[in-house]
Amino acid sequence: MSPLASSHSGRNPVKDRIAVAGVGSTGFSRSSDRTALANAADAAIAAIRDAGLTAADIDGVVVPGEPGGPGPNVVASALGLPRVTHFSRPAPVAMFAFADAVHAVFSGACETALVVYPYLRLPWASRQAANDPFRRHLATGMATVPESIANAAGYAAWASRYLAEYGVSRDAFARIAVNMRSNAARNDLAAITTPLTFEDYYEARMIREPLCMLDMDLPVDGADAFIVTTTERARDLPQPPVLVHATTVGLVTPNDEDQLPGLDHHGQHVVIDALKAKSDFWLDGLDVYCPYDGFTVITAGWIENAGWCGPGEAGAFLAQHWDEASSRVLIDGRVQMNPHGGSLSEGATRGSGHIREAVVQLRGRAGERQTPGARTALVTTGGFFFNSQGATFRADS
Amino acid sequence: MTDLSDLALVEAYAPLVVDADSAAFYRGWLAHELRVSRCDACGHRFLPARPVCPVCWSRDIGTEAVSGRGTIFLCMLLHQGPPAPGVDYSAGPHPVVTVELEEQPGLRFTSTVVGTPAADLAVGQAITVDWIQRNGVPFPVFRVTDGTEVAS
Repeated sequence: MSPLASSHSGRNPVKDRIAVAGVGSTGFSRSSDRTALANAADAAIAAIRDAGLTAADIDGVVVPGEPGGPGPNVVASALGLPRVTHFSRPAPVAMFAFADAVHAVFSGACETALVVYPYLRLPWASRQAANDPFRRHLATGMATVPESIANAAGYAAWASRYLAEYGVSRDAFARIAVNMRSNAARNDLAAITTPLTFEDYYEARMIREPLCMLDMDLPVDGADAFIVTTTERARDLPQPPVLVHATTVGLVTPNDEDQLPGLDHHGQHVVIDALKAKSDFWLDGLDVYCPYDGFTVITAGWIENAGWCGPGEAGAFLAQHWDEASSRVLIDGRVQMNPHGGSLSEGATRGSGHIREAVVQLRGRAGERQTPGARTALVTTGGFFFNSQGATFRADS
Repeated sequence: MTDLSDLALVEAYAPLVVDADSAAFYRGWLAHELRVSRCDACGHRFLPARPVCPVCWSRDIGTEAVSGRGTIFLCMLLHQGPPAPGVDYSAGPHPVVTVELEEQPGLRFTSTVVGTPAADLAVGQAITVDWIQRNGVPFPVFRVTDGTEVAS
């Protein structure tokens, strides 16, 4: 149990009133020479066309403030959107932008919002990107000292706590990494699909011990885009609407990486509490499950905090539900975990890939990785500190 | 050294960010004092330095020197990372620990450890603050105190 002072009332007037009507993605690459804007434009145009709409129909533009990425005004201008009444640039990590679009449509700030997520390998994240002269202007980096657990390093530090506090091995992390790679093999958009074994995992180079190369998501170039509008309007458009059932973000205090209260009290607990209170369904009978995997320890946290198992039990849970034949997780022999391969193997989409997979599965268009008859999805994005988020989606009835 | 100008203080500790809220914290380092913020109204201690007490909203925030003793709460070994004087990743991983200070539950400070091989560090070990020179100014580090200490 998390020691939260209060729980969410469950008030959720937006429930099922807003829908995803279009999806577009460029797919993800570790060697592209395209700009973030080129990928953003491709994904956006694909999403608008997927929804059966044109530039004139889009009056909301939401683009997260990705490093090196274009702002919403630049995207709107590049696409020639004639008249926009809502545009914003939320923080990175997918649900901030997605929820903003949902709220903007629900409030009437706009009728139909385009949400675009452009990702670009920055010079500090990739040797190839560092050698690209067209990315030299992005080579600012984050000035820091080694003696800090701010940002990404925070997850390695808290992974040490996870292993020590629960007295467990890295088995949960290994299974999470292997699962994502096995799933990515069924996804044409994935950046990396070469099979991964447990031996590969345990031999991988340590980066921030106890986390190794394979515990960290994969820097990629590419973009995802979504068209968000009212459910009423989406029902008149060509694609099967996917209803946004609930969204939330979660924050506790203190949320500084090294002052966070504990593994039993952080942003994920707020998210789960609110999302569960707002949603008409939870894990029982859930069809599609997409927990964020920017770092493997984040996924372990989401699995436990969602209630699939108790604290520290993710490794045992994954072992219990492991499908040896396909080398991946099938909860109760049925529910895949990040069927698209997640941030670890599809590519570091900061969660837009997880939302896209939920939408594609609930449309019933996920091809060979389709969960038969998928009706409900749970997506939990972000980590522990200041970007924990979640959403539930369902197919239209 | 403790009478450095604000500008000299900012330059000495870059790329750490020294501002009006945190200057007293960094001036403590010059005097080999690990300081935390402490609310004059309710006594709550906190890090990092901030202008308002998160418990009672008082603006009367002072600093208090702590003992520097505590236990390792988080322990990460950097096999690669940001450059710093005296840090050589090719010689072995650079440890970074978050230490829970004895003065108050949840009050933590993060730095490296000297005097103990990285592989021998573990969550739960007793540890105390020590000082090295970096960029010509004092920089707080930790030293294990539970008997695993070896000559550095």
